[in-house]
Amino acid sequence: MASKRYEFLFSAALCGLLLSCGTIDRRVDPDAPDEVGGPNLRSQDIRAMADRMAREIRESGVLRSSDPAHRVSFHISSLRNDSSDPIDRELILLGIRTRLQQKLGRQVRVLDRSTEAVEEIREEKAAKRAAAVTANPNLAGALAGSDYVLKGTIKDRTLQSDELRSVYYVVTFELTDLETSELVWSGVYEAKFLSEKSVISR
Amino acid sequence: MSWSRAAGGLLAFACAGCAAYVPPVPIHEFESGDLTAVRSFFDRQIREGDVDSSALFLNGLAQMELLQGELPRARRHFRQAGQIMGNWRTSSSEVVSAIVGAESSKTWKGDPHEKFMNAFYNGLLYWIAGEQDNARACFKKGILADGESDEGGAQTDCALLFWLAARMSAAMGLDHEAEDYAKEARRARRFAVEHGAAGAVSNAVLERPLDGNLVCILSLGLAPTKVAAGRHGSVAEVVPQSGGAASAELFLGGRSLGRAALLADLDYQATTRGGRAIEGIRRGKAVFKTVTGVGGLVMLDRAFCDLGGGGGRETKLVVGLGLLALSLLTHSAADVRHWATLPKTVHALQADVDSGEHDLRIRFRDACGRVMPHLEQTWRIEVPDDGEGVYYFRSLPVLEDGEGSS
Repeated sequence: MASKRYEFLFSAALCGLLLSCGTIDRRVDPDAPDEVGGPNLRSQDIRAMADRMAREIRESGVLRSSDPAHRVSFHISSLRNDSSDPIDRELILLGIRTRLQQKLGRQVRVLDRSTEAVEEIREEKAAKRAAAVTANPNLAGALAGSDYVLKGTIKDRTLQSDELRSVYYVVTFELTDLETSELVWSGVYEAKFLSEKSVISR
Repeated sequence: MSWSRAAGGLLAFACAGCAAYVPPVPIHEFESGDLTAVRSFFDRQIREGDVDSSALFLNGLAQMELLQGELPRARRHFRQAGQIMGNWRTSSSEVVSAIVGAESSKTWKGDPHEKFMNAFYNGLLYWIAGEQDNARACFKKGILADGESDEGGAQTDCALLFWLAARMSAAMGLDHEAEDYAKEARRARRFAVEHGAAGAVSNAVLERPLDGNLVCILSLGLAPTKVAAGRHGSVAEVVPQSGGAASAELFLGGRSLGRAALLADLDYQATTRGGRAIEGIRRGKAVFKTVTGVGGLVMLDRAFCDLGGGGGRETKLVVGLGLLALSLLTHSAADVRHWATLPKTVHALQADVDSGEHDLRIRFRDACGRVMPHLEQTWRIEVPDDGEGVYYFRSLPVLEDGEGSS
């Protein structure tokens, strides 16, 4: 009787061991805490940051124009990474631009001033002027000027002891009036991570 | 019942953490310049090899891609490896497995010098891609990784990363930071040389760290290997590799630009790094292995000598066998997985040259100053009107077009 019980326990333990060897591959909520770990800005930070900045810019009312014939235009120039972790800037910048466009709709003119976009526009315009391709006369016009520019900086403060490491991220965004150079809006997003080194780490 | 219990305990012990199997990297092919063969090796290991060593394979693969000129792929793979290596998160089951079982059952995250070399390659690729801020982020990450060592004084003494961070800061218009990093680079170099690193304290690169519109970074030789030594292989011994190129002279259109300055000595970096805590655990396991082995043999001897029979004999037999099994199942061997295709030394040369296309010839010499003609390379490079031309070379024979350098 006792040997049967042990047989069962061993089988169960072995099954448990084998099951624990499996891997995971499932869809997760991008706002859910990241199980992978590491002191890096994660999907939830990037989404929260983009959401907050877009909301704060909209609520500040800076980009609203009282004259419906002249919409306010702005473009996003850069996000400088001064931290010690490389990041794909486009992830954050495109997130903010898309959310602003969605929330403000046709109230503002969001300009694409990326090098690639400007180059493409130049080439297409040149082709139209040379009649190499057809042109829509209703959509002809000069390259739009920008009223405001949005730019940002990612900074971090990393502290490291033998077994602990903390990383404090500060991401700031600023909206500058391109006529007066006045800083008309600024926003900040902060996150802090603490990691403990394991005894098995070298 | 006692047999079942003992067997159960041993089974659990045996399952605690099996050693990772990492086949040897085809170093001979690498040294002979057959990068495609080495790349296939790493590619296959990523698909079929030990999952816990994937960062090791990703680094190797990315290195081959870099040398074959596939920079976006190389950057992606270095980045993936860097994310694993820079993550301190360790599950409790992994800690238990590595302590109770084999150390090599843990996820390979590399030694500090391997971490900073990953950061170096990552940053270099961001720099070549024109993302100076992300490049600087990588170099800063490498400096922090270099400081993860338990060794105290020998921390953050890699002049290479400080110099690169200085250049990136200057490119971003952060002149004060550039100056600070340049000072740190000189301090780090002096410290490293005073503590046994190869090369001179001062060199042209560190004296004028921001000069030049042509920057050539060269990796020479092969990094040290790591072998298990000591009782039951419980000590991870770093063994420097002899031979290989020790210096490089560059010629532009037939005119000598001088010798590249040595900025990182990985033999020195590898020997001054490593975890003391896990080393203590391994030594403890080695003692345990010896004690249980001897104890088991003594108990078995007593059991066989106990001719009177009875319960006492059976107990000695069980305990003796149990101790012997524990001794056999204890993995005290050190984790000797290492990044075998890293260079021995990293050098740099910066020069002010006319913009446009040039022929660049590299002549490598061994430690005795003898020219190594089979490694000689000639490349067509282009220096832009604005900014700088950045090139990376490796002291390998060039087999195919585009291989051996980028």
